[in-house]
Amino acid sequence: MELFLGSAEQGLIYGLMTIGIFISYRILNVADLTVDGSFTLGAAVSIVFTAAGHPVLGILLAILAGALAGTVTAFLQTKLKIQPILAGILTMTALYTINLAVMGNRPNMSLLYENTIFTKPVEWLGSWGKLATVLAVCAVCVGLISLFLHTRLGLSVRATGDNEDMVRSSSINADVMKFIGLALSNALVALSGALLCQYQQFTDISMGTGMVIIGLASLVIGEVVLGWSKLLLIASVAGTILYRLIYALALQFNVPVMYMKLVTAVFVILAISYPVIVGKAKLLAQKRRTNHAIDQ
Amino acid sequence: MLSINNITKVFNKKTVNERVALDGVSLHLSPGDFVTIIGGNGAGKSTLLNCVAGSYLVDEGYILLDGENITFQKEHKRAKYIGRLFQDPLKGTAPNMTIEENMALAYMRTAKKPFSVGISKTDRDYIRTRLESLELGLEDRMKTKVGLLSGGQRQAITLLMATMTTPKLLLLDEHTAALDPATADKVLDLTKKIVAEHSITTMMITHNIASALECGNRTLMMEQGKIILDIQGEQRDGMTVEDVLKLFKQKSNKEFDNDRMLLS
Repeated sequence: MELFLGSAEQGLIYGLMTIGIFISYRILNVADLTVDGSFTLGAAVSIVFTAAGHPVLGILLAILAGALAGTVTAFLQTKLKIQPILAGILTMTALYTINLAVMGNRPNMSLLYENTIFTKPVEWLGSWGKLATVLAVCAVCVGLISLFLHTRLGLSVRATGDNEDMVRSSSINADVMKFIGLALSNALVALSGALLCQYQQFTDISMGTGMVIIGLASLVIGEVVLGWSKLLLIASVAGTILYRLIYALALQFNVPVMYMKLVTAVFVILAISYPVIVGKAKLLAQKRRTNHAIDQ
Repeated sequence: MLSINNITKVFNKKTVNERVALDGVSLHLSPGDFVTIIGGNGAGKSTLLNCVAGSYLVDEGYILLDGENITFQKEHKRAKYIGRLFQDPLKGTAPNMTIEENMALAYMRTAKKPFSVGISKTDRDYIRTRLESLELGLEDRMKTKVGLLSGGQRQAITLLMATMTTPKLLLLDEHTAALDPATADKVLDLTKKIVAEHSITTMMITHNIASALECGNRTLMMEQGKIILDIQGEQRDGMTVEDVLKLFKQKSNKEFDNDRMLLS
């Protein structure tokens, strides 16, 4: 039971990051590596303010900081014409220093008895308090983003990722749409990091490493499970919860933690290249059939 | 209306690959003019349209639209009043979005409120009546993803989108060239109908000399970055494809080199 509850809580927290990756990877069609940095940035901002006694303010400022990080990447991509992948790596690298600075040049920080946003809900609801809190935050975010994607601005952002040529010739500023999309995406990622740090009462400078891949894996799982529906945001969160569950089960069966990143990476490779592999296999089978028929 | 003054565009300047795409081109259009442009490969037709649309900035000269200087205006800003269609039918629409979402995007040119509902009830009704005018039955498939439609259907939708709010200028760059002959005719008829209905000033590149003479009220021929022929009025009435080829030979001292044009 504890395993399921923990997976659900963490799944909902990381789910916000997956939604962020959904926005950059699926909607804007950009593999944005800023995520590894902005996740930690959110956690760093959040823990510093929580330690100072302002957990809610910490969450809000983390969102803002994440959006700012996304804006920097968008600036590198659109105005300075740096390739999208490299732009993300540059911001991520720069953020490493900034994250250290935010935490007062410490590589990690922990909370002991300070209040977090989870303190009150746990007092009211006991062991369900944490789940209720993250569920509420997640529901609000999913609702707001789903509304946004159906506004005029949201349609324009989606079109930018779908066909930039068209957007350029239809009086929409494609660059501005990328700014908005990447800011929104990284704001969600930072929110995810901010929630996680208050949840585990701990921030580490390297906690963001590999987050892009974990997010992609969760995204793919969600699309496999719920892709048939049009609820792609909910699918992202559901995929993340499943990922966390698999992760927790693997730990139960004594799979060393150090293996998890490799396993996740291989999983993402297989999931993304699935159509190619299936196509190759089909072609090989067809070749064999044809050759066989000629030989006869 | 549109006034192009002595514009020059050179690609790969100061390299061995230097190519003068536009060589001091001047052109003045009156409101409601429908100009067709023909010319050999690499004559500068598409470059001319790209310069007017803002995809390229010109090296010299200036462009006025309705008296406003648009020479250095950004592409998306010009797109507010310049509608545009490309040869590739895939370029004008977003494949993973529905027909109505695509149309709504075009409709947004005039909208100011970014956070208002993407497609309201009135928008949807208006989009439906516009789609009905195509007579392709698309009004019953408004929730279909555009990627599932044929090239001709996509080009027809792009045409509607470009003229959803009447543009000051419509640029057509061989927009029927990639379609099969029957569909191409249909899209061309549609183009003529829409342009006539709203008397939109139009520039159309075509590889088909016959349709260049048949459409519009003025025909330009380009060669080596220059407009070498400008036929309009009485001279244009009753002109045949042979006349045009003869004129071309006189003007440029060489045979017409665009096979695609001669074969069609």
